[in-house]
Amino acid sequence: MYSGINISQTDARPMYLQILEQIRARVAAGDWPPGRELPSIRALAAALNVSVITIKRAYLDLENEGVIVTRHGKGSFVADVNGLAGELQDARLEAHLTEVATLGRQLGLSEEDLAARLRRALKDLDKK
Amino acid sequence: MNIVIRKLIAKELYVNRWFIAGGAFSGAASVLIATLGKGGFNIGALTWLTTIIATGVMMALYGIMNERKEHALQFVLSLPLSIAGYVRAKMIGLTASFLVVWAVSCAAALLLVFVKDSVPDGLAVYLVLLCVFMLANFAVVLCGAMQARTEALNSAVIVVTNMGVSIFMFTVGPLPGIQKNMWAATPVWNSTFWTVLGCELAVMVLAFTLPFLLAARRRDFL
Amino acid sequence: MNGKHIEMHGVRKNYRFFTLDDLNLELEPGQILGFVGPNGAGKSTTLRLVMGMIAPDAGEIRVLGHAIPAEQAIAKRDVGFVSADMRLLPHATLGWHMQFMKSIYPEWDGGYATTLVKRFNLRPEQNARSLSLGEHVKASLLLALARRPRLLILDEPTTGLDPVARHEVISEFMDVLRDERRSILFSSHNTVDVERISDSITFIDRGRIVESSNKEDFLDRWRRIQVQLPPGAMLPELPNIVGRVTDGQFVTLTTNQYSEGMRALVGPHVRDIQRMTLEEIFVANVMHHREARGQ
Repeated sequence: MYSGINISQTDARPMYLQILEQIRARVAAGDWPPGRELPSIRALAAALNVSVITIKRAYLDLENEGVIVTRHGKGSFVADVNGLAGELQDARLEAHLTEVATLGRQLGLSEEDLAARLRRALKDLDKK
Repeated sequence: MNIVIRKLIAKELYVNRWFIAGGAFSGAASVLIATLGKGGFNIGALTWLTTIIATGVMMALYGIMNERKEHALQFVLSLPLSIAGYVRAKMIGLTASFLVVWAVSCAAALLLVFVKDSVPDGLAVYLVLLCVFMLANFAVVLCGAMQARTEALNSAVIVVTNMGVSIFMFTVGPLPGIQKNMWAATPVWNSTFWTVLGCELAVMVLAFTLPFLLAARRRDFL
Repeated sequence: MNGKHIEMHGVRKNYRFFTLDDLNLELEPGQILGFVGPNGAGKSTTLRLVMGMIAPDAGEIRVLGHAIPAEQAIAKRDVGFVSADMRLLPHATLGWHMQFMKSIYPEWDGGYATTLVKRFNLRPEQNARSLSLGEHVKASLLLALARRPRLLILDEPTTGLDPVARHEVISEFMDVLRDERRSILFSSHNTVDVERISDSITFIDRGRIVESSNKEDFLDRWRRIQVQLPPGAMLPELPNIVGRVTDGQFVTLTTNQYSEGMRALVGPHVRDIQRMTLEEIFVANVMHHREARGQ
């Protein structure tokens, strides 16, 4: 169940962030549907060979983001909010768009240039 | 006595099993050889002495120093016992191991004295003193090994106690109270005998108790 | 029992050429504490003090609530100890040792022991004398783990282990922590492992605790700040800079109290702000403290 989650110690990003993002990705993709129970903190720690404190931090941040809900004594569950997956995907899109805008500016591209590049990318995607 | 100490004593006997078997066999065999004429008696007596002393020294030294050298001491100390408990287990275990060899050898020798007609029963007095002496000797070696932190000190203990046997033979043997009656037909348990015996027992008791007062109180065992 | 598993306060131990001083250490149940330090720093001495094998010259030690060394016999019923330089009893087999432990500890889990024998690639008929260093470490770990003790004290437990064996061993340690009533204190040179599985970390150098904190906190607070100063430019006064290396225009600062506000503080010449691995933090920390103590 959790063997698909991987921590790379050569990755520049901190371990808790890697875990957080991989869980978020699964929720966004719908693999972990709303209401599904997450592995307990200690169980995930043992499965990934990562310290309990790191898992705790990831779960805490996920809860603050509203991705999961922790019910005291019962465990953690994927938040049962309609369209959560969609929301997460949307947040990802926003983040990417901001990056595109920043890079576009740095390269000195105009709004029209950027829009043309986006159209081309969509066309390439449709071809596949 | 708690289970850990009991198990450690059993472990001591198990680990020393070949020493015990070999020593007991050698001691008994030496007595047998001693029955074969005058030459046999001398050879037998010598091997008998060597067996008991060597077994005692080897058990005491090997049993204590080797554990230390082979870093097995940490393993034992990680068990649920105190330093005093460890000393107790070691002392009892090693003494028990030696006692088997000693008891078999001495019993065989005494049997020889009383059963064989060619050997005068008066010799039993000297023999008893010699046997108790070797037990006291073992106690001293054990005490020294328990206390000694270096191999050098240990070697010194061995040398001194080995000399002790010679000293015993040259001082106790010629004592008038003993010499006079050594080859008598019946054993003479006179005051000289009791005095020497008393001294030997005193040394033995002291040597056996000292580790419990000193080594067991040690706060650093590594 | 909710008390701490290990408490050391103000512990001191004097040797002729070395003194362990002002040692404070705490281990909560459910935690793994990584104990990191250079060779000769006093890690082994500290662990032996905890086990009652040597007695402190000052200070207090409590293990599982019991005073050490006075009540060590009771405390050690529930403590497993493995040291890389520890050896099993010579002339006895691993199987004999397993029987021995089973007879002493009622909590011995024979099934788990058998599993570990296979997992660690050992054979019960092996004589202790014939075990390699790595096999010895694995055998000692097996004997400690199969008792399922509440507290495990491990001195360089991955010594002599190949990467596969190390992975197996680390997995067993993490399995221990599935139970929040159990804990582990381990000393290691392997900062990669320590960084990964420790909940809290204590650095020791030359007989003194350099710093103790939880792992995430360490990794959050330490940064390398790469700055490029054009000629004539100056860096502002910055707080909490514990290291500074200048190479022409390029300056590398090391800070142990990083916060997001620092980026702005440093000014426009920042090239990069990098997180540090535990190894880098450890070295920087020790260097900084040696400097501070005039060494």
